This record gives sequence, C-alpha cells and structure tokens, in this order.
Amino acid sequence: MAISDLISFFREDLFFSDFKAKTKAAALNQLTEKFVDAGIVKNKELVAEMLQRRESIGSTGIGKGIAVPHGRTTAAPNLTIAFAKMGSGIDWDSMDGNPVHLIFLVIAPPFEENNLYLPVLGRLVELLSNESNRNQLNEVSSFEEFTEILTQ
Amino acid sequence: MKNELENLVALQDLDLMIKELKEVEQLGFEVKSEGSETLKKARKEMIAKIHKPLLGNYERLRKRYKRAIVPIKDDKCLGCFMKLPTYLLTHMKRDEQVITCEGCGRILYWLN
Ligand SMILES: [Zn+2]
Repeated sequence: MAISDLISFFREDLFFSDFKAKTKAAALNQLTEKFVDAGIVKNKELVAEMLQRRESIGSTGIGKGIAVPHGRTTAAPNLTIAFAKMGSGIDWDSMDGNPVHLIFLVIAPPFEENNLYLPVLGRLVELLSNESNRNQLNEVSSFEEFTEILTQ
Repeated sequence: MKNELENLVALQDLDLMIKELKEVEQLGFEVKSEGSETLKKARKEMIAKIHKPLLGNYERLRKRYKRAIVPIKDDKCLGCFMKLPTYLLTHMKRDEQVITCEGCGRILYWLN
C-alpha cells in the first residue's frame, strides 16, 4: 500500500480544517460524534470507550503536534479516517510533550477483507514523519488541498 | 448502562486491542509497559458483567471463527452470508437482545 492510497479512507464530511476542542477527551468525543453524524457508527459510547481505553495504555500523540488515535470496533462497518486541524493546540500526553494541532482518527472494523488497518496506520506514521507534509497539512484549508497533499 | 449485546461488543473490541498491541507498538506508537496488564484487568472487570453461558458461547465462537460477533448487512449474516429470516430481523430491531445466526451460530450485530 502506498501513501497516496490513504486518501480513499478519508471523507469530506469527516474533514475539519477548523476544529475546536479543549481537551483530548473532548476532541475524541466530538470526533466520534461526527462519525455518528456521518452515519458510520450508531453507538457513540462503544467507540468512545474503546478510544479512551487505547489512550489509557499509551498516548496516540506521535509528536510534532500530531495525534493518531485509532482502534478497531465491532460498531464500524469499514475503515474510515477523520482529519481535524486545530488552531490552538491541546495537550495529548505526547511523547515529545508538544500540544497537538492535527488529529487523524482511524476507526476500523474487527476484520477487513484486505486487512489494511495496520498498513494504514504505518503509512500514516510515514506520511507524518515528513516535515514538508506536516507543514503543508498545518496550512490545509480545503478537502481538495488535503487530497493534493496526500496524493502528490 | 450497556445492554448485554453492547457488553459483548465492548469485550470483542477489547480483545481485538489486546491481540494487536504488539503490532501497533512496532509501528512506533506508545504502549506503556503495563499496557497489556491494564487491558487484561479491564477484561476481567468486563466479563464479570456478562452472564456465564453467554460468555462461554462468546469464547467458543471466538476460538472457532476469530470473531464471535459479526454485523448484519443486507439482511445477511456477514459471517456465513446466510440470509436471515424475517422474524429474526424484526425481533432484532424491536429489542437489542443477543441473537445468533441460525447458519453459523455467530452473535449478530446490527450496524445501523
Ligand atoms: Zn452466520
């Protein structure tokens, strides 16, 4: 799987270039709510619980202002990634201690046909380890631009 | 308070997390050294809330099929693709009880 293949897991209705949240818990809650609004999951509590539990065993803040919360849930029909960019960063207990400005929330079903969940997480980490990609993502304002950055 | 089916779904989600902990860590994500223990403890608390026969059935199904709970799509069980009888589907919509597929025995979950 190539980095450019990641775009197929994003959706315009789960793209937020001006997201606002006060805390990590609030951000996870609000984004899970967006998955409900988008008709992807019906049970917000189950998904929120799974995401909080994941955070409890180690932060998904990967440093440089980025968090990639993730998990599989029986309540999801397919692999979907939400993108949220925040003007003011929030504490995510990240490895480097920096506040988080970009969130990539990855929700996957228990098993997918092609088993892409782990490869997708890997490619995301790869994409975000590149400084130029991070800089561009920090400036992104439309889904179109976002698509361009991911597929360039 | 979760109903019985939701408790089972939460358990399956937790089991999936436990199973892939190492792989996720290898990708560069932080997993605390006590992470695995924390999840096992959470599992103990979770299974205490589930009726014994139901839990037994879940464990048996998990051994046999890897996933014990499967979604319903287009009125079909996504475990064995058997079309589910109408009475089962209407019953499921009415209350969220634990229902198993007549074809494969897996526990069914209505996605939306
Ligand atoms: Zn079946």
